[in-house]
Amino acid sequence: MSMTREKVIEIKNLTKMYGKHVGVRDLSLDIYKGGITGFLGPNGAGKTTTIRCCLALLAKTAGEITIFGLDSHRDGVAIRKHTGYLPGDFGLIPSVKVRSYLKYLLSLSECKSTEKMESLAERLELDLGRKTNELSKGNRLKVGIVQSLMTDQDLIILDEPSGLDPLMQQEFYRILREEKRQRKTVFMSSHNLAEVESVCDIVAIIRKGQLVVVEDIHVLQEKTGKVLEVEFRDPFKINEFRFEGVSSIHKDNGRLVLTIHENLDSVIKVVSNHRILNMNLKTYSLEQLFLKYYAEEVDEGGDE
Amino acid sequence: MMFGRMIYMELRTGWKGLLIFGLLVLIISAGIPMIFPTYRNSLVEQLEGANKVKLELPDEQGGMITLSWEALEGATNYMVLEDNRSSMVTAKLKYTGNETSITFEKDFEEKRYYAVMAVLDETSDPVLIGIATTEKGEDPFQELLKNPVYAGLTGGRNISMIEVKGFIALEYYSWSWMLTGLFIAYLAVSVIASDFENKRMEVMLSAPISRRRYLLEKFTAMSLIALFIVLVEIAGLTWGLASINTLSEFSANTALLSLIGSLPFLMVIAAVGVLTAVFFQKVRTGMGVTFAFVFAQFFLYTFGGFSKSLEWMKTITVFKYWDYFSVIIDDVFKAGDFILLAVLSTVLVIISIKVFEKKDVPT
Repeated sequence: MSMTREKVIEIKNLTKMYGKHVGVRDLSLDIYKGGITGFLGPNGAGKTTTIRCCLALLAKTAGEITIFGLDSHRDGVAIRKHTGYLPGDFGLIPSVKVRSYLKYLLSLSECKSTEKMESLAERLELDLGRKTNELSKGNRLKVGIVQSLMTDQDLIILDEPSGLDPLMQQEFYRILREEKRQRKTVFMSSHNLAEVESVCDIVAIIRKGQLVVVEDIHVLQEKTGKVLEVEFRDPFKINEFRFEGVSSIHKDNGRLVLTIHENLDSVIKVVSNHRILNMNLKTYSLEQLFLKYYAEEVDEGGDE
Repeated sequence: MMFGRMIYMELRTGWKGLLIFGLLVLIISAGIPMIFPTYRNSLVEQLEGANKVKLELPDEQGGMITLSWEALEGATNYMVLEDNRSSMVTAKLKYTGNETSITFEKDFEEKRYYAVMAVLDETSDPVLIGIATTEKGEDPFQELLKNPVYAGLTGGRNISMIEVKGFIALEYYSWSWMLTGLFIAYLAVSVIASDFENKRMEVMLSAPISRRRYLLEKFTAMSLIALFIVLVEIAGLTWGLASINTLSEFSANTALLSLIGSLPFLMVIAAVGVLTAVFFQKVRTGMGVTFAFVFAQFFLYTFGGFSKSLEWMKTITVFKYWDYFSVIIDDVFKAGDFILLAVLSTVLVIISIKVFEKKDVPT
């Protein structure tokens, strides 16, 4: 990473209370230019609250949010000129064609070109000639995605953009990676680990309104390791698999489960000495990390 | 700034409903004057009926009253009803028989009314011959207009229902605003509150649009719709008046000046709708409050006319500042009232903006 990393979003000590209920507490987070940052957390953790505070849809209880160096609430209009947003839940103006609806939003953004809108719709196979009130859930999401990207914004904020069929979802990730290559900044919330795995560079994990960790995804992968599960035809000795970089070894119903940080090559070679019945290598155990935080929450909840 | 985009979208998505409502307003505005000739003829007949009944008062208290009436052909019996109200709603039967004249003692001080009716046969309803009153020189129908319900509306002006001005003022102006007012209230609340309820606000406000601009465009759209409705009313009324050849008595200019006064009145209703919509962010609640506001205009204004001690009620209504009687009867357009209402609607919109800027957009 170069030293001149430019902060696009700077959240300082953000607190948002809904009456007595805590939405987000004392959250600080920086989002850098040209990256895709995943905002991960269980339902109700405060992801949407943080995002909606950034867009000035919610009033802050305390703290400061700066976007493009501007105050999120005072300079909201100027910020939104360069920001695309896909809400987690949104409605469309009924009984107009999708094309007119999107053109209307373009005109509100004072964007004259419909080129990007047309090309996005084509890639996502969205029929612009359909009426907005005749769309399926997936197609409505496509309208939202096109809407959030069509004015060629510098910052794209996506609140849980999953729900497309797998092929379309892959196309959507390709689009996001292309945006990244053009030095666009993407900030997306998700509780879908596969999504974060496949597109994000940086992961911020939030739990109970507080930020738990912000980490480069590769660092996180190294920290958490890869998980190898093997079922053998014949008996095996656990000691065979003791290598440097293998952090945990255990037997589970005759299955061998290893967590590997380094020396993957050596481990696989030893594994190959046996007759294998079944094998599964998970790229890394972010899920377990996630579950770990979630489990802590459950435990704490039990204490209260 | 491309101000007007949202106004355009509002009109584009809502033009069908607006067209249907516009047609309804046109039919009512043109249709009511067209009823007038028939109404006048029947009223004249009734007023002439008053002359068929004569009431002779004694010189002093306790003397005898003589009530006589013209015989009606085919009548088998006559009935006389007595009441101290011209509306005869609490009337008691004073006499029944086949005489055409009765005499009775004047043992009361207050004003009384006598309605004489002829019974033709057992099966059909009695026919009114006429009404007489103990008050000298009083026309019982004029008296009816002094009824608080009417007096409250007319501002104590002497209105004749035989003239087209009086008829239109009481049978058209006195209630048509309720129809247009409720329509504007419904529109103003629903266009904004439904953006909240249907989660469109989220997308709208993620565009580079300030909340101020959002509300200003919506309010301007409402004001334009109100103007459209008022113009349809003016056109319809003028058309109706022309079709019964009464434009010499009630000119197109009078229609224009009297109805244009309702524009800022409708704008105030729209602004109340905008305020309740951003405050409650719910269509039903906003609609309830705004409708209550419109109805309150009517009740406060009417009750305010019941007595001097209730006069204050009028001053707190907005309706008071659209004085169409002043234009129709006195030929005076109150520009001050017009400006006052316009300013009030502006103030309400500014308050709405302040409220909206403080509020969270609900999910």
